[in-house]
Amino acid sequence: MEIELSPDDLEFRQEVRDFLKDNTAKPGADYSQWRMDFFKNAAAKGGWDVPKWPVEFGGPGWSPTQHYIWEQETVTASLPWDMPFGIGMLAPILMNYGSKEQIDRFLPDIRERSVNWCQGYSEPGAGSDLASLKTKAVLSEDGTHYSVTGTKVWTTMAHMADWMFCLTRTDDTGIKQEGITFLLIPMKQDGIEVTPIITLGGAHSVNMVHITDVKVPVENRIGEEGKGWTYAKGLLQHERTGLAGISRSIVALENLKRQAQSVIRGNATLMDDPAFKSKVAELEVDLLAVEFTELRSLASAASGDDPGPESSILKLKGTEIQQRIQQLTVEAGGIYSAAWGVPVGHKFARSGMAGYLGGRANTIYGGASEVQKDVIAKNVLGLKRS
Amino acid sequence: MNFDLTEEQQLLQQTVERFVTENYDLATRRKLVDSPQGYSDDNWSQMAELGWLALPFDEADGGFGGNQIDSMIVMEQFGRGLVVEPYFANIILGGGMLKRSSNQALKTALLPGVMSGEVRLTLAHAEEQSRFDLDDVVTTAQEDGDHYVLNGKKSMIPNAATATHIIVSARTSGGQQDKSGITLLLIDNDDLETSHFPTVDGGRASELTLKNLRVPAERMIGDYDLLAIAAHDAVLALSAEALGCMEVLYKSTVDYTQERVQFDHPLSDFQVLQHRMVDMFVEYEQCKSLLYRATLEAVQDAPTAMRTSHALKHLVGKSATFIGENAVQLHGGMGMTEELAIGHYFKRLLVIESQFGNTDYHLAQFAA
Repeated sequence: MEIELSPDDLEFRQEVRDFLKDNTAKPGADYSQWRMDFFKNAAAKGGWDVPKWPVEFGGPGWSPTQHYIWEQETVTASLPWDMPFGIGMLAPILMNYGSKEQIDRFLPDIRERSVNWCQGYSEPGAGSDLASLKTKAVLSEDGTHYSVTGTKVWTTMAHMADWMFCLTRTDDTGIKQEGITFLLIPMKQDGIEVTPIITLGGAHSVNMVHITDVKVPVENRIGEEGKGWTYAKGLLQHERTGLAGISRSIVALENLKRQAQSVIRGNATLMDDPAFKSKVAELEVDLLAVEFTELRSLASAASGDDPGPESSILKLKGTEIQQRIQQLTVEAGGIYSAAWGVPVGHKFARSGMAGYLGGRANTIYGGASEVQKDVIAKNVLGLKRS
Repeated sequence: MNFDLTEEQQLLQQTVERFVTENYDLATRRKLVDSPQGYSDDNWSQMAELGWLALPFDEADGGFGGNQIDSMIVMEQFGRGLVVEPYFANIILGGGMLKRSSNQALKTALLPGVMSGEVRLTLAHAEEQSRFDLDDVVTTAQEDGDHYVLNGKKSMIPNAATATHIIVSARTSGGQQDKSGITLLLIDNDDLETSHFPTVDGGRASELTLKNLRVPAERMIGDYDLLAIAAHDAVLALSAEALGCMEVLYKSTVDYTQERVQFDHPLSDFQVLQHRMVDMFVEYEQCKSLLYRATLEAVQDAPTAMRTSHALKHLVGKSATFIGENAVQLHGGMGMTEELAIGHYFKRLLVIESQFGNTDYHLAQFAA
């Protein structure tokens, strides 16, 4: 066991810091231009624009420690806006299961961030039980295209997407995990209707997508017909680990402490209030532990082992911690957390409530906490349900 | 021992329940919340006609002589409907203070208008540094002949935009956190420096800046003791409202999980979810018990009444958060939408949690 960073790692960390410093947006700079420059410069560093991609597809080939350093350093820097759907979700599937033609056709645009993707998985009747999805894809008699009809829901950023990667049902005769086919569908065409869903915090990021008799060429099918579930499933695990957001929570907790110190109580601050202080301390304890749970998970991934039980814990515990921080932020805001849409009282109170409300989704999406526990019970503890 | 409502109280409960059923579907409420005023004048007039605005006032003053049990009945039903008319600010807070004020002239002048709905009151007690402490007041009221001169800032005043008068707590003497030296003055709501804004639960609140505002001394309605009594009433009323919200949330969750099928079973078949809903139900029932206890003690003016009200607000805050968060969780993505009622009840509960002292504050007061 060893937790000290090696001289090479320290050198890498300095390189990351220098890069982030050199590529901070200059005051008054054009945002989209800066964003594009950032990714271009990151690419020039040797795959820093796609840190998690394998070397053969242009990734940097970092060690787990280097990934950890990158995450630590970037969480406090203001990185340009980026969406995980192309880079983090579709790309690994293309690399593993896509044809040479598909890889050549889609991967460069994903890497350049010139095409926006959305994920067409959940349906009104298929949430936690994703495999029960019903969006129908029927192959034409000449075998050239599928006709797709169905409804997708909770589709993040569908209103800004050019393409959707979509799970469809091509066969409903066998068990439900079979007969699912993975299709790539252009969004800007007749037969695709995107309806906004406004969530608790008043925000519009998720949508309902109605797909009506949309023709999708067979060239847009990833892998074999009926194997889509297998392709998507491995990725879900990937998504879950990414949703833990441990580094972000560490930063958020530091912010919370600063915010609580700005709430003056007589001769002291809210951080001196014993009840509040102990809740912050409990969060710190959990973060100290879960940070190492994440490192253990990275280490076993690096040694080529199957992801251990650590990875199953991460989404569960990570999202719970996020919500507790959000809850304490609302608590710190006191009466001002109720003010809506205008800054009143403590400066942080306005975004605190919106963050808390939006954050309730964290234990629902990407596999609800209850589903995560089922997964751990079954796959880690080896328990069977009666 | 008897926990039954009297015939009159049952009638009141049924009337309010019917009003809520007829006037408060989610779409109608949304329209009210989005309207410039934030509530309906028609509803307000109806509440006056039904006698609800006169409910807590003495019969000698033209009221119905109701007590905290009657207010509890009304507020619980309002909670079930997420009613946005300013009953709490006007009748519970403002009205309750006026009713108990020793300023007879002011009572005679204003109470008839309060009961008809034309005079609308609210209370400005909070300040940026005060958090939940009623006695932490830096706004000053300086005596100047037969006037007070007010200076300071008041925060998060409920429904001030539609109030005709605002009751302000200000300091005439003493240090920042002294109970003595706090004076309550009723000021006219004209030409005040205010900013109005919506609250996350669909309500309205305001900030008020006082700069050398001259208020006649005869507008003095009481001192810290009156403020403490108002806060006690506020805790009871808000807890009753919260109980109504919690009931809707746990019952809707039980219904939804029986309809929603995943993994070839209704969600309600899963034991872990059954137990969660049992916990929600138990929390709700515990809150109901403590609400009855605290309300009855207040009616009897028992020596323990204040302490029990702290216990109540603590338990309600904790349970409301638990029930609200789990109602959203068990509704899944649907619970996250503005379209479903769940989120709106949850948001109201979140605001109630912080009104007149949050969960931690009341536990500390209870343990003190």
